[in-house]
Amino acid sequence: MLVLRAVLAVALIVCGVVILVRMLSMLAAGFALVPGVVLAGAMIALGVHRISLILRARRAA
Amino acid sequence: MSAPRTKPPEPELRRSVTPWGSFSWGYSDVGADIFVGLGLVLAWAAGATNVAFLFAGIVYVCIGLAYTELASTYPVAGGGQYFVMRGLGDLFGFIAGWAVLLDFTIDVTLFSWSSVDYTSQLVPALVNSVHPWLHFIVVLSLVLGLCLLNVLGVRESTAFNGFVSALDVISETLILCLGFLFAFRPGLLIHAMHFSWPTPYQLMLGTSLAIVSFVGLESISQAAQETQRPASVIPRTSVALILTILIFALAYSNLALGLHPWHPITDAHGHAMQFWQIFPHNADNQGKAVALLAEQVPYYGAFAALYVPILGAVLLLISSNSGVFGSSRIAYAMSSANLLPSIFQRVHARFRTPVISIVFFSSIAVIELIFAALPALVPAASALYSQFFHGENGLEFLADLYAFGAATSYSFVFLGLIALRLYDPLSPRKFKIPLNIPMRIRGERVDFPVIAVLGFIGIFSILIFTLRTHALGRIFGPTWLVLGVILYLLYRNHRRLPMLGSRRRDWRTEQIDIRRRAGELELMDEYVANLKASDARRAGQA
Repeated sequence: MLVLRAVLAVALIVCGVVILVRMLSMLAAGFALVPGVVLAGAMIALGVHRISLILRARRAA
Repeated sequence: MSAPRTKPPEPELRRSVTPWGSFSWGYSDVGADIFVGLGLVLAWAAGATNVAFLFAGIVYVCIGLAYTELASTYPVAGGGQYFVMRGLGDLFGFIAGWAVLLDFTIDVTLFSWSSVDYTSQLVPALVNSVHPWLHFIVVLSLVLGLCLLNVLGVRESTAFNGFVSALDVISETLILCLGFLFAFRPGLLIHAMHFSWPTPYQLMLGTSLAIVSFVGLESISQAAQETQRPASVIPRTSVALILTILIFALAYSNLALGLHPWHPITDAHGHAMQFWQIFPHNADNQGKAVALLAEQVPYYGAFAALYVPILGAVLLLISSNSGVFGSSRIAYAMSSANLLPSIFQRVHARFRTPVISIVFFSSIAVIELIFAALPALVPAASALYSQFFHGENGLEFLADLYAFGAATSYSFVFLGLIALRLYDPLSPRKFKIPLNIPMRIRGERVDFPVIAVLGFIGIFSILIFTLRTHALGRIFGPTWLVLGVILYLLYRNHRRLPMLGSRRRDWRTEQIDIRRRAGELELMDEYVANLKASDARRAGQA
């Protein structure tokens, strides 16, 4: 179960990075990029948060 | 001689909610909101839908952090009403609780309405614009049915909640991942943002509706009294919930604007349309936006078209039920705190449920439903609504009031948080909102929360947007509050309690009791040690 959750967390981070790269490839759009960049940031933050919880659970075990 | 009689212990809520239970409890309430909010915001904010969600989302993160700190510091069942009452006094506690009660009654009607809208995707006879009376009767039956189930004490189990939440998280993740992979065109998104930017009025309206997608964090704080180790579990689940909901809202709004539809969409003249353009002036589509979007995801859409409407309808019905259950629970808590008449505490002898509370607030939900359905049912009412209320449809009327209630109660929660940081600095806070300014007040070190101030400015501006742009919301919302305050003043006068002031309470003893009941003895000890040190310091100064 822990492994599955870790895989999902990594997938979330990868997804966030992909969206970030796709949005940043259109830098000329300026302000229109902001919501997409925030979305990517939130995905990466949630992935990192989940991985930190998994690591803490493993350390406690 | 008779033996001395000991007072029987008061019944307490069992602490059986696990971390996943706490998450799914909150998710089944907040997670359903995007099913309702997306279509409404797309209809008004058009090319700025993602910006409206971003603004509301930032405010929501501040609200989420505030609730996380308060619920882990004061894990009691009252939620926002309790925090505000403790920080600002009885009257403001009542106003915050009364605004939440408005939200819960709207929750019952709005989510039942939307549940039927999602079902109509598979059962066309339920489309509101085609068969308004049938739609009305089905929604009314759902509201009355939920009321009856709650009176009888039948509740969906935490396991069922958890199952639906898990299924929904997986489905939404699939829709978004496959949508971004196969149907998302950044060029379309940028095009929509540049050429379909709304007017300032529409943007304000869209932003005030976007907050609808983030209402319901209250549930986690209400479940706090039943959560195991609340000080450590609540921050963990809240942060995960806040980020999950934020990601879903931002992802849906960006995807909807930049979606290249799997099946071409055309208007009446055969011209190609972007996906988001099917929402303005179409109330039927606004009520089932997520199902329509899922349908347009290549390949997966064929399968999603069959089950996403059912999943949405079930999730919305669970959320609707939490409105019936939550309103009776808040009314019970407010009544226990002498903010509402004791009749709301009365429990049915056989069913052991607060029947009067449930029936009273369900009746209010029915009245709201009649107001919402009237323009579709009676042509004369439709003309009246067009003349005086910008022709708002039923869904918009309910969303107006939902946004008003949420913005009002959250504004008070931010003020309550600031007040509690100033008046109760000795309570140990295992989770504290970041960005604080340290200062000294009455000899105690206090951390002034900057984020609470920013959050208050954000949510207050959404309240102003709501009052400025919602013709019905600005009449019915304040009327609800004024009627409530009159009821409160009459009740307090009748009971000879302070009308504008607060009853004297021993918060120190109560806080120790809260920690003891939560089983967090180390935090209780820390609090007692803080009190002793503070008292000793004051005695020394005297």
